[in-house]
Amino acid sequence: MKKLILSIFLLCTGGILSAQNSQNNPLKIIAFGAHPDDCDAKFGGTAALYAQMGHKVKFVSLTNGDAGHQSEGGGFLGKRRRAEAKKAGKILNITYDVLDNHDGELMPTLQVRHQVIRKIREWDADIVLGLRPNDYHPDHRNAGIIVQDAAYLVIVPNVTPDTPPLKKNPVFLYMKDNFKKPTPFSKDIAIIIDTVVDQKIKALAAHSSQMFEWLPWVSGVEKKEIPTNEIDRLAWLKKKYSTQIIWSEENIALLKKWYPKVKNTSVKYLEFFEICEYGKQPNTSEIKKLFPMLK
Amino acid sequence: MISNKFKLILLVHILLFCFTSTLKGQSNKKLNIIVFGAHPDDCDNKFGGTAALFSQMGHNVKFVSVTNGDAGHFKKGGGALAKIRRAEAKEAAKRLKIEYTVLDNHDGELLPSLNVRHQIIREIRNWNADIVLTHRPVDYHPDHRYTGVLVQDAAYLVIVPNVVSDTPPLEKNPVFLYLQDRFQKPYPFQPEITIDISSTIDQKMSGLDAHESQFYEWLPWTEGRLSEVPNKKSERLVYLKNKWGAKSAISQETRKSLTKWYGGKKGNSIEYVESFEICEYGKQPTDSEILKLFPMLNSK
Repeated sequence: MKKLILSIFLLCTGGILSAQNSQNNPLKIIAFGAHPDDCDAKFGGTAALYAQMGHKVKFVSLTNGDAGHQSEGGGFLGKRRRAEAKKAGKILNITYDVLDNHDGELMPTLQVRHQVIRKIREWDADIVLGLRPNDYHPDHRNAGIIVQDAAYLVIVPNVTPDTPPLKKNPVFLYMKDNFKKPTPFSKDIAIIIDTVVDQKIKALAAHSSQMFEWLPWVSGVEKKEIPTNEIDRLAWLKKKYSTQIIWSEENIALLKKWYPKVKNTSVKYLEFFEICEYGKQPNTSEIKKLFPMLK
Repeated sequence: MISNKFKLILLVHILLFCFTSTLKGQSNKKLNIIVFGAHPDDCDNKFGGTAALFSQMGHNVKFVSVTNGDAGHFKKGGGALAKIRRAEAKEAAKRLKIEYTVLDNHDGELLPSLNVRHQIIREIRNWNADIVLTHRPVDYHPDHRYTGVLVQDAAYLVIVPNVVSDTPPLEKNPVFLYLQDRFQKPYPFQPEITIDISSTIDQKMSGLDAHESQFYEWLPWTEGRLSEVPNKKSERLVYLKNKWGAKSAISQETRKSLTKWYGGKKGNSIEYVESFEICEYGKQPTDSEILKLFPMLNSK
């Protein structure tokens, strides 16, 4: 009995301690996508986990998405998508910024690089996520280049001197893609998102101009196939956008590395990240501190 | 009338004369080497030892910094810093017995524009380069990556007369080489040519020492280790050598390259090296051409 009381006590204090730790010293994570919905699709689950633990997450869309529709466009679409992003941010309990650069026209200019450097500094980021510079959409590739080009320069006081520099280069991570050349995406870190997968799907559904209009239209899905009521829409989206993990040898080994106590048969959904060589290079124990959901 | 026999003897003499003078000319031929770094100090750090060897042998080496380094400090900046760094580069050049040019592009803002590409094409042509060296387009600093792209983009175009028509083109595409870096993706640096710099490591360090604003101020500051820098000149050189001139961490690949070029016995004992990778966009040299381009490999 004594032991039980003691362990309950320890459990409580431990819980309080870790909650306090994340409140007093929250991690700051910033993710850059090319369009409003990119970060949600590739990082939404892990972002929700961070937010639950009291850490601070911000998504930034480098373009305003004003080209992503078959019958709407320009400033009106930009406005609609900004509102969708804000809604998704609320669902995930994170902050969402949409920069006013045109969709489909993103170039790796100094001007956008400086926008990104300012965002990283203002967020005082511990982790920066971006896309790899090889992906199907030129905006994605250029977004990847721009974020890479901000790495290191975020600590240089003479660069973008209107915003104080960071003291240390953060860890830069890539979000997952399926491209193979010149090198395939390397699954360096894996995060289980089963407990928040429905929250992620809800956030994606907030981008209704994309999930239920533009993306089905570009992939030739007939309008009549898209459900209209809320519950059916979420189920439809979940089926489409959260593919269950296939337990290849590689994925089993990854799970064993990051979640040694978890059985793969009890896990369905993962998000993966690759460490970019241009940021701080974290070792395994530093990664565990940066991803406190790894238990 | 001159006899046929005499004619033949004369001809043989003339031929022999021509032949030996060409041979002599060839062995006296000075090599022209040009190295592009993003900032004043990059070339010194990756090629200083080999540059000193070339210069000792009477060849012509030029370092070009593609930016003026005007962002590389925590207390100074702009034109005032660029001026300091240009002077440091000139001092380093004196110590390595080479030439140093600092182009006036802003530090931290280099992009692969046509304007800078043309600056580089002019530099390569005016130096009549046999070898051009630079960073790979994968490195930690965007200025390094874009310098790599810019120099790659100058390869081949240096022979095209319609490109940068104010400066006569080279007759042949030079050999382009990459300086060493530690990055692994998309593939790691290949040490195809490795040079023993044991005899010039101190001269290389003396070259780095000239870049005071960098090695004793800015670089330690970025690591939060400014307080570790000694004030005394003699102690500074020791500090510099410990930090930047330590025995090269020689990988298996590099050791293989050393034993290829220096033989097993010597190749296994060399401790201070600089390595280079052959860029696919320049002339592709054979091993015997590499021996001519790196004559220090013959005096092993």
